[in-house]
Amino acid sequence: MIKKSLLAIGALLLLFPTMAFAADGEPPSSSMGLNALWVMIAAILVLLMQGGFILLETGSTRMKNAGHVAGKTIFTVGLCSLVYWAVGYGFAFGPNAGDGLNAFIGFGDFFFNPAIAAGPDDAYPATNFFVFQLAFAAVSLSIAWGGFAERAKLSVYLIFTFIFAGLIYPIIAHWIWGGGWLAEDGAQDFAGSTVVHLTGAMAALAATILLKPRIGKYNKDGSANEILGHNQVFTSLAVLLLWVGWFGFNAGSTLAVGDGFFGYVAFTTQLGAAGGAVAALLISWLVKGKADIGVTLNGALAGLVAITASCAFVEPWAAVVIGLIAGLLVFFSMAFFEKIRVDDPIAAMSVHGAAGIWGTLANGFFATPELVEKVGVGKAGLFYGGGFEQLWVQIVSFVVCGAFAFAASFVVLWIVKQVIGLRVTEEQEILGLDLSEHGNYGYPEVLKKPGTTSV
Amino acid sequence: MSSLHRQERLLDIAGAGNPEELRKLREEEQNRLASVLSSSPVIQVIEELNELHDAVIVRILELAEIELARSGFGKPPVPYAYLLFGSGGRSEQTMSSDQDSGIVYGVPENGAEAERCCRYFRSLGRLVVERLVETGYPPCEGNVIASNPDWCLSIADWEQKLDGWFNEPSWEHVRYLLIVADGRFVYGDAELAARWKQRFYRDVLHQPVIAQRMMENTLRHKVLIGVFGQLLTESYGESAGSLDIKYGAYIPMVNVFRLLAVQAGIRETSTFGRIRALREAGKLAEQEAQEASEAFALFLRLRLMSMTKIENGQWVGTGKLPVKQLSHEWIKPLKKALRLGRKLQRQLEKGIRDRFGGR
Repeated sequence: MIKKSLLAIGALLLLFPTMAFAADGEPPSSSMGLNALWVMIAAILVLLMQGGFILLETGSTRMKNAGHVAGKTIFTVGLCSLVYWAVGYGFAFGPNAGDGLNAFIGFGDFFFNPAIAAGPDDAYPATNFFVFQLAFAAVSLSIAWGGFAERAKLSVYLIFTFIFAGLIYPIIAHWIWGGGWLAEDGAQDFAGSTVVHLTGAMAALAATILLKPRIGKYNKDGSANEILGHNQVFTSLAVLLLWVGWFGFNAGSTLAVGDGFFGYVAFTTQLGAAGGAVAALLISWLVKGKADIGVTLNGALAGLVAITASCAFVEPWAAVVIGLIAGLLVFFSMAFFEKIRVDDPIAAMSVHGAAGIWGTLANGFFATPELVEKVGVGKAGLFYGGGFEQLWVQIVSFVVCGAFAFAASFVVLWIVKQVIGLRVTEEQEILGLDLSEHGNYGYPEVLKKPGTTSV
Repeated sequence: MSSLHRQERLLDIAGAGNPEELRKLREEEQNRLASVLSSSPVIQVIEELNELHDAVIVRILELAEIELARSGFGKPPVPYAYLLFGSGGRSEQTMSSDQDSGIVYGVPENGAEAERCCRYFRSLGRLVVERLVETGYPPCEGNVIASNPDWCLSIADWEQKLDGWFNEPSWEHVRYLLIVADGRFVYGDAELAARWKQRFYRDVLHQPVIAQRMMENTLRHKVLIGVFGQLLTESYGESAGSLDIKYGAYIPMVNVFRLLAVQAGIRETSTFGRIRALREAGKLAEQEAQEASEAFALFLRLRLMSMTKIENGQWVGTGKLPVKQLSHEWIKPLKKALRLGRKLQRQLEKGIRDRFGGR
């Protein structure tokens, strides 16, 4: 009986939704509701990108570390959320910093306690914005883990999450998005080629330099060995998950449904990703004589990373060019890092670093006056009569942000190295981090713990 | 080197009494050839080297016959021919070649005789292979070797086997046919070997489509030069930066001329010989033949250069050459030769596709 009446009420509410709000007095504007919904969908999509990172990192590494690599991402996303809630968000977007301080860092809103619904003048509820921003911070952190893969101690992940999500990432987010000094300069980074990707990649670079290459990566004569990931299907699925999630990342960064501009952003995003995938496969085929799947997958991601800064500022043809160049760049960048003996199992430095720089720079060339006016940040690029001004702003933004992210990460990790050490022992590394850090293999039926018999 | 020295050495080998002596003679002669490699035409070095290998193998066979007779097996019950396959068949052995070989023997008169022949030649095959191992020739990894009963058959069985391979050209069978195409008589009854080879060519003529299957079987070894004219070297591991001369230059060239020769009914087994015969048959222009010979000579030279001697006098080689060790004047002709190899490979592919259709 109760069930039936509930069903009836539910059906009525669906038919006459205004009935439900009738008693609440002032209804919020319908555009606020749509914006809120869109930002929440986007936040969910960006959070789902963690599924991509889990599969990407696990697929690109070896079986003996699979459980660790996959599971630690869930842990760090959790920890990152708490830290970002407690302090990170406040440093990025806190409104109480004085004029002088605000150029460098935000202040306020620590242990964020938002209003339960949007006010009459809000474009969307602050909660939705928080969840969306948090998902970005978590992406940047997961990018950084690429440089730690298969050899860092679990405790290092814990410590670095605190510093990165609490301070390093929020500072850069503040500079460009939170009204900091680069925002005032008109730096164009629509969805975070620099803020999210370059920052993560620089942390990865600092980590991999301090950690040194994995055992067996390089021979005595300096030649490299190929340490193949254990599952290319995981890696491919990861790229698709990230690709789809990227629509939340880029198109969601409009933060508004408005006139449907988010659709244009999604459109250029797709073109950029496509260009990256195609160019990467072709260049590896032409140069190496074999079409490399790993390079192709990284090419798609590089296209996405590059178009992230420019998706709202460029015309369709330019989006294709940006993607194509990102695909070429990632191939040569991977070869370069391998040559200088930087062991980067997930190619984080190439995919998120090199392509992140390229994407940021691309605005300085391709930003159109019409789109710049629409977004309301910066000026047109070199190819659209904007001269070198915007290009220079873009260069400054990636140089400064990159340098800061690298230096800060390096100092933090260097101190950790001196105090407790970054890397597991040689024996633990050979045995696998699944066993050394967690006590069980992720593939227990394939890999046997020493001293046990099969069941 | 003077021909006098060559004659003397061949006489020494012919008079050697055991594998150790032969091994010593072989090592001395190989050392001498290695020292003159850089200053002599590679065709000549390869020719002398293979003359040396042939002489050693022939002497081992003679000694094995004697050894078998002493242990009560008697003389060979019927005539037989000892065949070399692979690089030995093509007279292109290096300092560290392994054994690829087979035996074909005459038709026994009756069942009892057949069993005796089978026993004798299997024993001979085993003994020869063992003695050659002692002389420093490792056995063939693919088991194409006289001690394997599959490769030690009477001519009648061989003919049946060849027909079977032609009638059912599976990947494995076509691989065997490619091996047979390089088969060369080295000792025993030459007429028997000729009859054996004749059957192969008769069947090829009846089944021209076999050429397509042969081509498909060899296509996986591409010439290692990229579209930008870059050398496609190894990216990873101990041989990173090395060019796989054996499988990325030498073998593709061997495959091209083997196929062209087989199609033209040419029975030469050495690649130089095949190129020469193709030119004489009008299948290759003078200029093409000249360029192909030069390219192949370069590959052979580089292949010999990729070998090194280890402590116990054994030569080892992966067939991979570090490109950095190549001086500048080598790179240009190498790229030119590789481009030619690629062109020939594509021409052949296209020709066969046009004739038999794609797959």
